[in-house]
Amino acid sequence: MTTTTQFEAGHKITGTPFSPTRETIRAFCEASLDFNPLHLDDEYMKGDFGKTNFGGIIMHGMNNFGVITKMLTDWIYAHGGVQRRLETRWKMPVKPGDTITPSAVVKAGKDTQTGRWFMLDVQVQNQRGEVVAVGEAMVEIPLAS
Amino acid sequence: MTAQTFETDFWKDNELRKTWEQIVPGEPRKTIPYTLTLEAIQKYCRVVGDTHPLYFDEEYAKTTPYKGLIAPPTIHILLMFACTPADDWMRSPGTVNAGQSWSYNIPARPGDTIRLEARALDKFIKKDRLFVVHDNVFFNQHNQVICSGRGQTIRPA
Repeated sequence: MTTTTQFEAGHKITGTPFSPTRETIRAFCEASLDFNPLHLDDEYMKGDFGKTNFGGIIMHGMNNFGVITKMLTDWIYAHGGVQRRLETRWKMPVKPGDTITPSAVVKAGKDTQTGRWFMLDVQVQNQRGEVVAVGEAMVEIPLAS
Repeated sequence: MTAQTFETDFWKDNELRKTWEQIVPGEPRKTIPYTLTLEAIQKYCRVVGDTHPLYFDEEYAKTTPYKGLIAPPTIHILLMFACTPADDWMRSPGTVNAGQSWSYNIPARPGDTIRLEARALDKFIKKDRLFVVHDNVFFNQHNQVICSGRGQTIRPA
């Protein structure tokens, strides 16, 4: 296992693009047990939510969370590390037909007695380059015991 | 729980669920222990396109520090609904997720019996919308923390 890995501030990682469809959104309902009509019911989605009208079903925000996490774990597992934290805020809805791509940039690192920690800025963009989610992550590469 | 016993019509029993006005910050939510299966883990993983061998290849997983298959960190997405009853207000139709932060301790594993401790922690009104702040902690059968999370949802008016 690599324990000497160092990532400088500015190191960028990019995740696998994800293209939600009505079918993947339905499958996410089944796999997450989140059957909120926001993700299922076009008739319901014709209505307004406060000042917002989504105009149709939207992808689960937590699907973003899963796509970001796959990026982080694919990267850090390969270095013997662990995902320790993820915080996100949703900026725009994601709809069937969109393609979203997560990316992250190392912001800072810190060595403690037990491991090497990296803080990252995270974002998810759609095919138009619009930012649909932003957040921060923290990963740890434990020192060999 | 099986797919057959999970009520997928979130409109059903909606009148039993607490509204924003009725949600009391600090009051524990009713929760249900849930046995996490490999099938449920892999179903979730496939849907988000995450087929890492730590979740699918037992022979590989045994060679890692985990010594066996694990669930991905974000399995809490499933656990949140699996560990709460049908009258829980997370299922109120129109609940909009506004943001989440999760902290991960040890992975959940296939066969774990997962327990949730959850409550609303705060509520407020911003930009004419009704917000609730959630506080959730998942434990395994050994009372070890799997992960803890804070979320914000906008409640249906």
